[in-house]
Amino acid sequence: MSETRRSFLKQSVATVAAASVAGCAPGASRDSSDRPESAAGAGSAGASAMPLPGETLRAVAEAVLPAELGDRGRERAVAAFERWSDGLEPVAELAHPYLVPETRYSGPDPRPGWVAQLEGLEKECASRHGVSLSAIDMPVRRELLARPLGQAGPGMGSPANASHVAAALMSHFFASPVATDLCYRRGIGKQQCRGLDGAAAEPAALGDAP
Amino acid sequence: MSRVVESDVCIIGAGITAAMVAERLAERTSASVTVVEAGGRTASLEERSRTRARMLAYGENPYPNDHIADQTGTGEMYRQMVVGGSGMHWGGAIPRYSPEDFRLRSLYGVGFDWPISFDDLEPYYQEAEERIGAAGEQGPPDCDPRSKPYPMPPLPLSYNLARMREWTDGAGIPFWTQPWARNTRPYRGRNVCQRCDTCAVCPTGAKYTPDFAFDQLLADGRIDLVTRTLVRRLALEPGTDRIAVAQAVDRDSPDEPVEFRAGTFVLAGGHAWSSHLLLLSASNRFPDGLANRAGNVGHYMTGHWYVSGFIDLPMRLYPGIFANNSLLSHRFASPGPLDRYLRHDLRLWESDVGRAPRLRDDDGSLLWGDGIMADWRERTDSGATARIRAYYDVIPDRESRLTLDGAMKNAMGDPMPRIDFRSAQATIDLERHTHDTIQGRFEQLARAAGGSMKSTRSSRLFEHPGGGCRMGDDPATSVVDRWGRTHDHENLFVVGAPTIVSSGCANGTLTFCALSLMSAEEIAKGLATRG
Repeated sequence: MSETRRSFLKQSVATVAAASVAGCAPGASRDSSDRPESAAGAGSAGASAMPLPGETLRAVAEAVLPAELGDRGRERAVAAFERWSDGLEPVAELAHPYLVPETRYSGPDPRPGWVAQLEGLEKECASRHGVSLSAIDMPVRRELLARPLGQAGPGMGSPANASHVAAALMSHFFASPVATDLCYRRGIGKQQCRGLDGAAAEPAALGDAP
Repeated sequence: MSRVVESDVCIIGAGITAAMVAERLAERTSASVTVVEAGGRTASLEERSRTRARMLAYGENPYPNDHIADQTGTGEMYRQMVVGGSGMHWGGAIPRYSPEDFRLRSLYGVGFDWPISFDDLEPYYQEAEERIGAAGEQGPPDCDPRSKPYPMPPLPLSYNLARMREWTDGAGIPFWTQPWARNTRPYRGRNVCQRCDTCAVCPTGAKYTPDFAFDQLLADGRIDLVTRTLVRRLALEPGTDRIAVAQAVDRDSPDEPVEFRAGTFVLAGGHAWSSHLLLLSASNRFPDGLANRAGNVGHYMTGHWYVSGFIDLPMRLYPGIFANNSLLSHRFASPGPLDRYLRHDLRLWESDVGRAPRLRDDDGSLLWGDGIMADWRERTDSGATARIRAYYDVIPDRESRLTLDGAMKNAMGDPMPRIDFRSAQATIDLERHTHDTIQGRFEQLARAAGGSMKSTRSSRLFEHPGGGCRMGDDPATSVVDRWGRTHDHENLFVVGAPTIVSSGCANGTLTFCALSLMSAEEIAKGLATRG
């Protein structure tokens, strides 16, 4: 490792850690179990956190995220989404598009709507089935989710613009480096600062990644 | 009562061309140099890891406070007004123009010749590459002439680009690595590229941004940098055509005017704000604005258009290895004799278009987690996508104009710029031929890989814009001479993008920098040499 790389790592890790972000620090662990944080992390920009009902969110995640993540992987994906949601700042100034002289802003806060959607799912589930969302079978759970997702897609879009929290959760996960690596079953490490050395090599199969 | 700031040279604007001029003058002369910037400072290098993470997560602007709310215009222009200018956000692509760009009328009977040749500019290209820190690969000499090697070796070809280059080599069209303003070794105190793939905001400092140059010049005590101060007008010395003062307002003390007095003034405000300031500086003696006796200020605004597409390739690639590197060809920018005029470059990138995860399948059915992953894998296992784009030369038109927009004013009542780009009729007449020929070349490439075109589109966005103060030997048809000195005012220079005659078919920043260094050499002639 060169001195410059070492000093960058030191500076970057310190900066990123201070902001509760693991995303772009090349010193962040390459253990795949840490990667969901990388996908999400952006820390707090001063927005007030608005906790999403955790149990219901996890019941939704079980229905909409890949089963191959396993319980641990799914929990990391949900936790990453929660951190991302906590750090979301409504009506934030967006990156300027090329050669556009106007300033653009993100939309209003989607989280009150997401909270209401999760609470509504629980209420509907209790009314229809007499149990919580996490207690019903997957086909029934998906049937409940399919209706509000009726307008979603076909593309993933930005999670902040998702009309339903289930779509936001899916968008957030499938945009992550973890999802890309899973799809290709290779350690691509999308958008993670990785140095130039490994660029020329075919990405290692996930099981072989160092 | 005005606050007065005096110096030998006053540079208005603190973008990349200002950095070039300031650095060269500081090295070669003992002149005092003041750089005036309407904007302030934005995210420092230390802050860019955090702002990058938020850009990735939320799409937020990674450069807070990089613009002034009421200082904007209409038309294709950059939003940024900040120390570093649009050179903070750029990707860092730094190809040169081709020798043919400077002799379009002589070689092809279209457009205009520049008053300088590629050979005149070549030493300044080299100097700009050394100041910025260029990492590049020598292309075929007939398409990529240069007198010295790049200062740094090229960015490595990713696995994806290496496979794509095998394909393009088989197609008989030479491609090589795009040159970049990104370090492949430690260079001028800056880090090596870490392949973060968010070059708009580089958290490592490997990408050149002009703030590095200004910070070094300030640390060395070689310049004064006055920020958050908007120059509103240039005024003449009584009884002469020399510029005496740049009249400005300190945005933090708007009631206290500031006057910058200097022996030489340099406009480094990019394609929009340089012409704008000249037009704003109208007076009784110069009712149409400064440097505008012949009425050319704001005219011949130029840029290039493109045709782009996506190619389906029967090969296994892994998008995300290094999306911000690309392959380049200038084969068709130096085409030799032509029956019908067409010059363009070619760029190739890895892409995931058509192979990204999606919520609905081709039938519109909603997919769930495992279904999304299976659908995604099916589409990535079956092949890969390459993005291709061709910038092509647009012939400038005199009526492609920047004007003052009386309907849009800032808080001080100054009209803002309005740019109405247009191309010469020759480009319109050739557009179908241009599109069809380029599409044919895309298809030729696709076929060579056993692939096919997924889609093609044309854009009339005037990319990498310039003009408005074009250079020329004849004051009747130009605003500045070959050195960027205005024909009408001996101590007023315009540098960089506004001075170009045409914008070729390659990203313009390196050419803007080279032209600025050429201007700096001329400016230095009137100043004391550094002892």
